Formats: sequence, structure tokens, C-alpha cells
Amino acid sequence: MANVSLSGIRKSFGAVDVIQGVDIDIEDGQFVVLVGPSGCGKSTLLRMLAGLETITDGDIRIGERTVNELEPKDRDIAMVFQNYALYPHMTVAKNMGFSLEHRGGSKEEIATRVNDAAAILGLSGLLDRFPRQLSGGQRQRVAMGRAIVRNPQVFLFDEPLSNLDAKLRVVMRGEIKALHQRLRVTTVYVTHDQVEAMTMADKIVVMNGGKVAQMGSPLELYDRPENLFVAGFIGSPAMNLIKGTISAQGFVAGGTVLPMEASASAGREAYYGIRPEHLDLVSDGGIAAEVLLIEPMGAETQLTFRCGQVQLIGIFRERFLGHVGDMVRIQPRLDLIHLFDASTEQRIA
Amino acid sequence: MNTKLSPRTQVALYGLLCLLLFPFIFPTWWMITSSIKPISQIFAFPPELFPSRVDFSSYTTAFEFQPFARQYFNSVYISVVVTVLTMLICSLAGYAFARIKFPGANIMFMVVLMGLLVPSEVTLIPLFQMFRAWGLSNTHWPLLLIQTIGASSVFATFIMRQFFITLPLELEEAARIDGLSRLKIFWTIALPLSRPALAAVAIFTFLHSWNSFLEPLVFISSRELFTLPVALVNFTDAYGGEMWNVQLAASTMSAIPVLVVFVIAQRHFIEGLAHTGLKG
Amino acid sequence: MASAKPTTGMEGARKRPFWTIQRKDHVTGLIFVAPQFIGIITFVFVPLILVFYYSMHEWNVLAGTFTFVGSENYEELFRDRAMPGVLAATAIFSLGLVVLNISLALLLAVLVNQKLTGMSVFRTLFFSPVVVSVVAWAIVWRFLLQSNGGINGLLYMVGIEGPNWLRLPHTAMISLIVVQTFKSVGLNMVLFLAALQGVPRELHEAARVDGVPPFKQFYRITLPLISPTLMLVSIVTIVGALQVFGQIEVLTQGGPGTSTTVLVYYFYQQAFQFLNFGYGSTLSIILLGIVALLTYAQWQLRRKVVFYEH
Repeated sequence: MANVSLSGIRKSFGAVDVIQGVDIDIEDGQFVVLVGPSGCGKSTLLRMLAGLETITDGDIRIGERTVNELEPKDRDIAMVFQNYALYPHMTVAKNMGFSLEHRGGSKEEIATRVNDAAAILGLSGLLDRFPRQLSGGQRQRVAMGRAIVRNPQVFLFDEPLSNLDAKLRVVMRGEIKALHQRLRVTTVYVTHDQVEAMTMADKIVVMNGGKVAQMGSPLELYDRPENLFVAGFIGSPAMNLIKGTISAQGFVAGGTVLPMEASASAGREAYYGIRPEHLDLVSDGGIAAEVLLIEPMGAETQLTFRCGQVQLIGIFRERFLGHVGDMVRIQPRLDLIHLFDASTEQRIA
Repeated sequence: MNTKLSPRTQVALYGLLCLLLFPFIFPTWWMITSSIKPISQIFAFPPELFPSRVDFSSYTTAFEFQPFARQYFNSVYISVVVTVLTMLICSLAGYAFARIKFPGANIMFMVVLMGLLVPSEVTLIPLFQMFRAWGLSNTHWPLLLIQTIGASSVFATFIMRQFFITLPLELEEAARIDGLSRLKIFWTIALPLSRPALAAVAIFTFLHSWNSFLEPLVFISSRELFTLPVALVNFTDAYGGEMWNVQLAASTMSAIPVLVVFVIAQRHFIEGLAHTGLKG
Repeated sequence: MASAKPTTGMEGARKRPFWTIQRKDHVTGLIFVAPQFIGIITFVFVPLILVFYYSMHEWNVLAGTFTFVGSENYEELFRDRAMPGVLAATAIFSLGLVVLNISLALLLAVLVNQKLTGMSVFRTLFFSPVVVSVVAWAIVWRFLLQSNGGINGLLYMVGIEGPNWLRLPHTAMISLIVVQTFKSVGLNMVLFLAALQGVPRELHEAARVDGVPPFKQFYRITLPLISPTLMLVSIVTIVGALQVFGQIEVLTQGGPGTSTTVLVYYFYQQAFQFLNFGYGSTLSIILLGIVALLTYAQWQLRRKVVFYEH
């Protein structure tokens, strides 16, 4: 087990800079999730860590070693791929033991380690099957088994759950997390799904356009997004973000005034951010809003409002008994409002 | 196309197919039956569809008249060596062109593809002169070399490359992480997964080599070095007259083994050729 | 991070070694393609240059002379009395073969594609001549096409007196085309069959719902959808037709007269029977030119004719 550090990492394909200077420090045993929209460079970064992509500039260290020019096999890492990458012509046992075979393990040792890993993952009865005879979830477990068998210093996961159906994804998410808690191996996990990131990570790295947008614990990112991108990316449904102007009366946008605490920087162009779960329905006070859409989800109800030309989404624990077209009053929780500068898109403290 | 056909249409269809089948199987039938007819019966009028008397003497004559066993062996060993080497060399090249982005790969691939566009006859005179200059005319070297790494092998490289491109890249990356070198990835991952393409390459290459006629005709002048196709046209008597029954016996012996293998493995043959041929 | 640190053993790795992962991989790639590449350079590229060089020389093998004559051999093409006949025979043979082969292959593919029992047996039998050697196939047909051979014997049984097929110019050419078609149509049939099976089922179902009759379905749906294969197979067949040698050598040896002397056969005669290597080289360059034109035409037509590509 080891800590991992990426410093000043750059990657260019010709004139295109896909990674533009990334620094990340990962502590020993930490579960780090790289998250971001497709094309943000998260997978490239993981593949550079694995040694599958060369780096244009910077240093990657795993434990005490700089691994820039080491072959993947010499980096002491294991990787779980999006499509599992199970060798179709080998049995489950052979798939799991394949890397040990090439590292000169004895037959007995390989068998023991494969059996141990299979027991952990509940694969013991499937060792003689071929990948095509397995279900999606089983294949996913074999892919993880292949990584565990190696007992590496770092686990790398590249969107491992994206090929599973929604229900199974939740189950496997739990299993991966449980496995990490059991083995405590440093893990880097790439996903585009912010729910996965929030539920699994010790530390989330949000990436955008080849750069790190923000790093921190899930709740830090949720509570205090440092820029507009992270504010919009973390949280589901996404934070309401409205462009307008800060004034003495409140936040002026689209013909309405949204309430906010008095601010010194009146006249400044900014984005006003409020999470759907931080809106309250009130009987008086707040602002008038028309109900545009009602989406009952059982435990919660999602409502879409219109105030002037501004649309807002709110999530409520209580059932909504009104109808589309009703006028209601809504109140944002003033201490949970986020403000971002309109031009730099950075958080206004 | 997927409607259930009426019984009447079905009968008509089977009738049409059987009629069409005639020119495809009658020659083979006629070749086999005529080769075991006595010479006097071979041009009998009206023709005998089933031989009334059987005479195998033409088969023994075939071996006496020419070193036919030796010629048969030549064809077998040349085709086998060419096929095995082509599978190896062309899958290596196809793999590198599909997967390794080495400098010059594109230009080299274009040069190699030239072999697909240039008819083999065009290079025949220079090749004849080259092998003569090297002292290799009237040996099997021209046949072995030209068929293994010359123009006709390019199709194999192309088929293999197209197939390797379709293999999931992640498998090879997983293998790299599992500690395999390029050569080992090629040998233990890529090659075992490309069996359908390899089978097609093997079939194409073997048939091409086995049937090759112009090259051995040009390069080889000694009877004991002949391959089967050249040997077959050489069954003429001292006056240039055709030795029909011997020719047919020899043709039967050359055709039957391949036909038998084909019938046993026909599914692989046809599907392999259809799927790779389409892309080629 | 990049600030100066005391140099330790570990820091040595920071300098890029010459043999980076990438470089090693490049060398592996070069080694992998080397045999094939060297083969093509030696046995295609160099001979191709040589054949142009030879074509500009008068080469008398017996006298041992090799003299530069410039475009003499190319001018000879226009003076050569045999040339118009050779080109005509080549055109008739190639076009006849393509038309017959493609239509028959398409017909067989459609028939064999029906969902009836025993179709795989028919498929196998139609394909079987493909695996019989060209020479063996031609020998059997030469035997069958004798004036007292099997074909005329069968015709006699139904009361027709057949000609001496290979000894009359027209029947010789027709025989060549037919024999070559039966030999190779199975391969094209299989390619068409694969293309037919690639046509999505729903399209035919939709057409049936719309009330399109089967023949119209074939012309308006099937044919356009398999047009890429049709195109490819046509060109491959015509290029193959230009290279047919074995059949002609066995069946007619270019005769009677020069009626079946196609370009390849004429080239073979000039080069390897009359040892006229200079003129032979020129003839083979004409062959190369025709094949190159056809390949180019294929590229051009691909865009216009093909409605649909995968």
C-alpha cells in the first residue's frame, strides 16, 4: 500500500492539451474518485497513472518511486476496466491468476490466492466458467477479483459500473466500498456519475477541461463549491444557478428579486446558487412563484417554479397537494445561498 | 423473404436448385467415374453415367509415367509451409499495423497494400530474372518466398489487421497491466482470439498455393520438382496425345483430399470466407 | 514540486532514459512488420521498377543482347496485328464472365437464403468447385467438351448434336466463360449470402406491411442495401477475370486461332514461350494500367452508386 502523488501532469495529443497541469496527492489507503463530464481528462489521467498513456510533462510517484518510465506491470497497480476486459478464452480462475502466472508464482500459491479472492467476492462456484457464461454483475466481480489477487499497492477503477443496470449498480457500489474498507488499499476511481462519487469517495477530485476544478471530501464539495462548475456538477438534481446582479434589495434577475443577505458588493454581476433541497414553501414572505411542473417521486416531490422569467426547481419532503398553475410562495434558506462571480465563475466569499 | 413458402413453391424451388446444381457436381462425378473406366469405355456413346466395368490401372500408370508421388509431396509440403509461415508473418504484421503506432507505420502500410493492387503477372518477368540471377530458378525457393511474403500474402495481412482492430483494446491493456510484453500479448491474447480470421487466412493461403499454376510453370522445369497443377497437364504420351484416363485419375487424386476436408469443415470455410471476404 | 531537491537514487528516473516505453514499443512494431515489409519491397516494389525498366529495352535472350529502345515497345503495341484481337478477347471474356458470374451468384444466393431444410447442403455443393484446383477443373471440362465428350453425349441422349466446343471460336469463348463461372461463382454466392443476411429483417417486414410485392422488395430494398457488396464483388471479379490463365492454358491455349488469347495469355506467350521479355514487360504494364483504372473507377463509383454503407 502506498500514497500516490501526481505533480504538474500534462498531456498533449499534438496541439491539443488534454491534461493541463494537474497536482493531486493521495494518502495511503484513501479512496479517491475522479469525476467530471466526458472529455474532462479523468480517464486519461487514470491511464497515465496506470502507465497505459505516456505523460508529456510532470511526475507520477507511487510510494517512494517515480514511475514515469516504468511499464504498467512494474508499477504495482491493478486496474478494473469499464468493459471488464476479461479474457474471453480463459476461465474465471485463469483470468484471475493470469498476472501471477506471468510473475512467476507457483501453481499452489496462485491457486490459494485465486481461491481466497473468489471467496471474498462470492465467486467460488464459478471458477471453471468462461466469461460469456457469467452475468454482468458476476463479470464485474471477476474483474475485481483479478485485481485483488495481485495484492497491489493501488487499485485503479475506470468507470467500472457504467455497463450495469441501475439496480445492480447500487449493489456493486456497496460491494466495492465494502471491499475497500476491508482491504484498505489506495484506490483511484473514475466515474462520470456524481452520485457514485459522493457515496464512495474519501476525497473527490472534480475535473473539467483537463484541470482540477476542486478537490475535497464529498461534503466539502457539496457545502462549499469553489466555482460555478462544481456547484452545477455536484448534487442531484443540480443546484439552481441564476445569472443576475447583486443589489441592496437582493439579487435581481429576470424581472424578479431573489432574497439574499445584505452584501457589500452591490452592483456586481454574479450567479445566484440555491440547491433544490434548500427552498421552502412558506405561507407568507418569500417570493411569489407559479407551479409549472409537479413530479412526485414518493419519498420526495420535485416542483418546478417560475418567478418572473426565472425557473427554479425545489425538492420537498412533504407531498404537494396543489396543481399546476397554482401560485405559491417560496423562500430560499439565506445561509445556504452560493454566489459566484459572473466573469471568473469563482465563489464570492 | 421471410414468408412461409407454399408447398408448390417449395417443390419448384428444390427443382430449380437441383437443376442448377448439375454443372457444379456433374464434372466431379464424371472425373471420378471416368478415371476408373477402362480406356475403351471412356468415350462410350451414349455415355455411361455409372461405369459398367471398373479398372484402376490408370491410377498406377499415373505413378509410373511421372514421379507423381514426389510431385504430390511437393505440392503438399509447399502449401503447408507457405500456409503456416503466412499465418505467422501476416498476423504479426497485421497486429503491428492494427495496434502499434510506430513512426512510418502508415507509409509502410501503404507500401504493403500495393501488393493487393499489383497483379502477380506484372512482376513475373523481373522475378524470373531475379531468381535466375540468384541461382534459384528451377528450385522451390521462388514459390515459397513469393507466396509467403510476396504480393499474395498481403491479403492475409490485411484480413488480420482488420480483425485485430475489432478486438477490444482494453483486453490488451489489461494484459499489459498483468505483466505481458507485446510479443506475449500477441501470442496469448490477440492470436487465440483471432481464430476465425486465422482460419480464413489459412484456407485462402492454402488454396492459393495448392492451385498456383503460372508460377510453377514459369519457375520450374524439372519433372521431379513439379507441383500438382503442372504435373496434371503433363500426362501426354510421346506423340503429344492425351492420356485421358491417367489425367483424370491424377486430377481425382489431387482434388479429392481437398474436397473431403472442405465437406468436413464446410461451415468454417464458408463462414470464414464470407465474413473476412466482405471486409477485404 | 519542480523545485530543486537533493539528488537521490530515485530522482535519476526523472531524466528520460533513451529506451522509453514508447521507443521500445516502436521497435517491436518494426520487427513485427519487417518480414512482410521486406518481402513486399523485394518481391513487388523492386520488380515493379524493373518491369518498367525492361519495357524500355529490346531483349534478345538467345543473342544475349539488352539494348535501350525507349518507347519502341510501346509503339509496337499499336503495330502489333494481334493486339486488337487480344484486347477484344480480353474485354469479351472479362465482361461476359462478370455478367454471368454476378447474375448467377445473386440468383444462387437468393435461392439458398430461403429458409428451407437442406439449404446448407446446396450451399456446400455450389461452393465445392471453388476448392477444386483450377487445372483439375479445367482438365475435366476439356474432357467433357470434346466432340465425343460427356456434354455432347448428354445432348445426344436428348437428340441434339453438339459442336466441337473448344475448336470453334465462339463456342470456345463461351465455354471458357461458363467453365470459369461454375468454378468461381460459389465464392461470390457466399459473399452475397452474407450481405443478404445483413439486411435488417424489419425492413422486409415493414415493406410487407406496406404491401410491397416480393420482386419489388428485391429491387427497391435488398439490391440497394447490398450495393456495396455488389460493387466490391464486381470489381474483384473483373480484376480476377483479367488474370485467368490456367483455364485458358488447359482448355484452348488461346485458340482456335487467337480467338481466346486474352491479355494475360498473350503476355505469357510473348514472355515465356517466345522469350520476348522486353515486349512481355510492356504487355504486363498494360495489364497493370487496366487494373489500376478499374481500381480507381471503383473508388469513384463507390461514392455515386453505393446508397448505404455500414
